[in-house]
Amino acid sequence: MSGDPIRYSPRVRDLFTRLPGTQAIAPGGGTVVAGEAMALERGAWVRFEALIDHGRFIECVFRAWGCPHVLAASAWACSEIRGLAIDAAGAINARRVAEALDAPAEKMGRLLVVEDAMQALFAEARAVQSR
Amino acid sequence: MAEAAPIFLDYAASAPLDPRVAAIMVEFLNNYALQANPSSAHAPGRAAAARIATARSQVAALIGAPPDSIVFTSGATESVNLAILGAARAAGPGLRHVITSRIEHHAGREACRQLEREGFEVTWLRPGREGFVETRQIVEALRPDTALVSLMHANNETGVLNDVDAVAALCRKRGVVFHVDAAQSAGKVPIDVAASGIALLSYCAHKLGGPKGVGALYVCRRPRPPLQRLLFGGGHEGGLRPGTLATHQLAGFGAACELARSALVTEPARVRALRERLWLALQAAAPLWRNGAPEPSAPGILNVGFAGVEGESLLLELDGRLAVASGAACSSATAEPSAVLRALGCSDLAIQASLRLSLGRETTAMDVDRAAGILVAAVRRLRAALPAGALERIT
Repeated sequence: MSGDPIRYSPRVRDLFTRLPGTQAIAPGGGTVVAGEAMALERGAWVRFEALIDHGRFIECVFRAWGCPHVLAASAWACSEIRGLAIDAAGAINARRVAEALDAPAEKMGRLLVVEDAMQALFAEARAVQSR
Repeated sequence: MAEAAPIFLDYAASAPLDPRVAAIMVEFLNNYALQANPSSAHAPGRAAAARIATARSQVAALIGAPPDSIVFTSGATESVNLAILGAARAAGPGLRHVITSRIEHHAGREACRQLEREGFEVTWLRPGREGFVETRQIVEALRPDTALVSLMHANNETGVLNDVDAVAALCRKRGVVFHVDAAQSAGKVPIDVAASGIALLSYCAHKLGGPKGVGALYVCRRPRPPLQRLLFGGGHEGGLRPGTLATHQLAGFGAACELARSALVTEPARVRALRERLWLALQAAAPLWRNGAPEPSAPGILNVGFAGVEGESLLLELDGRLAVASGAACSSATAEPSAVLRALGCSDLAIQASLRLSLGRETTAMDVDRAAGILVAAVRRLRAALPAGALERIT
């Protein structure tokens, strides 16, 4: 029980405290897609669900197990994905998340799990769109 | 309105300085007449030396030792190092084997690793799932070339108590030096070194409500274990620990020991009852588990794991409301899982999900009830965000 304590940016603290994006998707028009990534050995398990309609993400929510950075990153990603065109969503990655949250370098491994879940979500959304 | 102070449940890390101890230390710091070097022959020096003699008696009495068997140090870490390195290095030729356990505090583990670097062979005993090192394991590990056995009394993470009296009797019979790290048990449970035959015992002030930066090593007078000093300088502390003695620190240590000794009749039962009250209240956050056997144990330590919970998130969730320790050290950038819980057979995920809650002198039933309420709510909030299946998987 030693070592330097991890510092949390105000944004991480705020997102962790509120955990926006953990509600269920409200019933309505559109198609629900999901993307999930689990790497317990790296300390993260993230599942995104999104409602897509007319080529856009109408809603995006998440469920996650992990440290405050994982939860905050998932919440932040949901807010970024919401309203995006499916074709434009691929630009959100772990590096952008880390910058937005001012996350320490040692958290990058876990943020990559968040990115993997996002990529899985985007892939399914594209697949549904192309049908 | 001022924010309420967090409920302090981290006594195993360090107990808050007892105001009665602080008052005595302040008296020393403000009294010019007591600030002379206690080794000086003049009257102020003799006055300081007399107060140190009082402190030595108080510190010794806590463990049933004669005052002249106490060596003052800077804390339990130094005491443990002096005991382990000093006893092993001073052992006779051909005695190059040491027995310890995998669940020792860093101080003990790292001192033994240093001995390995110096060519000693160390047997690292693995405790059972309940956290005990059995006397039978010591019997099986002892060899003709064993120089030292070193074990914790109470484990700092689980509170589980080893049967050091039985190990002491065994070691004495076999002529092997036995060191006990009693940092978590001295003042929390009765210890009688004279009756048990322990050769060396380490403890410190700040776990008892005394100041940080001061500790003691008990060194049995008869038979006196061979011991080599680690520091070089004057002839203080029987030549084992040179350096001018810090009168105010030692007065504080003495006072803390005196207070702890007088409370030994009632305090362990009170704290133990509070700990069990806390465990009972936490059942509202089931599924959960307890790391280490409930008894015998140091009365104030409860190590509990919550299924589906990640330790760092739980700590941040509790931040500002509860002062507790994570089983995973994951509030630090190193994120090293607890070696103690790992040795007990816990998975890394179970370690991540574990917290050490440690109660002490100032803990009340109201604190326990409030703390349980805060913990249960925090666990529920984090679980509400879990992916399906995580609650069953993270144990």
